[in-house]
Amino acid sequence: MAPNVQAKFQLILQKKLKYTSANLGFNMLISKLQRKVASDPDSMTACLNEVDEFAAKFPAVVNADFAKIAAL
Amino acid sequence: MLVTLDMAAGMIREGKALQIAADDSLLAQLPTGNWIGGTTPYFIAEEGGTFTKDKLFVNEFDFAEDVKVAVYGKYNVFQIVEDCFDNGLTMLILPYSSKVAEKYAKEAPDVEELLLHPTVGWVAGCDLNAVTETKVYDGTTGKSYTDKAVAMFLKLPEGKTAVINIVNIFEDDKNDPVITFPENTLEVTKCRVDGKEVDFAAYIREKNVDMLPLVADYNGVFINVSIKSNENGRVGLYAPVFKGIEYRFAKRVDNYAEEFEKRISAAGAGNPVFSCNCILNFLYGNLEGKKTHPYAGPVTFGEIAYQLLNQTLTYCEIV
Repeated sequence: MAPNVQAKFQLILQKKLKYTSANLGFNMLISKLQRKVASDPDSMTACLNEVDEFAAKFPAVVNADFAKIAAL
Repeated sequence: MLVTLDMAAGMIREGKALQIAADDSLLAQLPTGNWIGGTTPYFIAEEGGTFTKDKLFVNEFDFAEDVKVAVYGKYNVFQIVEDCFDNGLTMLILPYSSKVAEKYAKEAPDVEELLLHPTVGWVAGCDLNAVTETKVYDGTTGKSYTDKAVAMFLKLPEGKTAVINIVNIFEDDKNDPVITFPENTLEVTKCRVDGKEVDFAAYIREKNVDMLPLVADYNGVFINVSIKSNENGRVGLYAPVFKGIEYRFAKRVDNYAEEFEKRISAAGAGNPVFSCNCILNFLYGNLEGKKTHPYAGPVTFGEIAYQLLNQTLTYCEIV
């Protein structure tokens, strides 16, 4: 993901920024990664990689989310 | 759509890829073919909510480029993430109260890569007034199972994606205390309410929660856990609670049926290729005779949208 989106996503995973997708699977992933980051802050990079993997698999779903996140 | 036995058999003989929900007496008569099935006599048909042991609800997956069917036990059910098509949709049916359903319910949220493989489905049920075994069917062999899961893997055309979503009338009551649980479980004795250890059975008895589920906020999506029983100090649940997730009881809903209609209109799905709705919504929402257009499908003892859900309408679209 683009650096500006990644920076915002980091805040989302730390629950410092709120963003809800229209996609159930993406919200479940974000929720799971938020719990992972809360219990192990060092897992942030791995979690961002999981987001990238999801985005690569479902670009039609996630690109719209990334555009909205960039605008937050 | 709800069809007769002859019509369902005809569709199977034409080689169509089908998901079929019906009473066991009908499923047992179907010819072998490209189908999977599960038991239930409750449906939300295009004509409205209905109870029948004389018809079958059929979903035809004509969008699929390729189809595979497989049967799994509790030791290998998560093999579905390996066996599915890379760009596909997995349709999964589990028998109610089976070991494989319990395993799936408790462990699905932690399965690596499950969220990368859209997985939708339901838990097979039975007539609540004449309880019988719940079964799933592998139509390719005609065999039925009470202790195994059946999966149909559908390959999607390039550029198409399966999108799974839910309609839930409940949200958490932010004024209610936070409840946490020490383990992933379908049966609870102790929990923590705002950090303090509490006897959960006594707590919900005092609270008089009635038909309200526990609700967890998954990044803005509310996931229910409904109470099944409260006996001898043990609270049975229709879906598991998970360690590390914060729950609250749902906000009270004044008119269940009205709220359900409102949420369905707001969901705005165009053309779902599959949907199912919980038996608790069917009963509490008085859905018998009521239409939930465009959502039609089996009424179930659990819904699968990646993980096991309950008291939820679940649907899938191909976009």
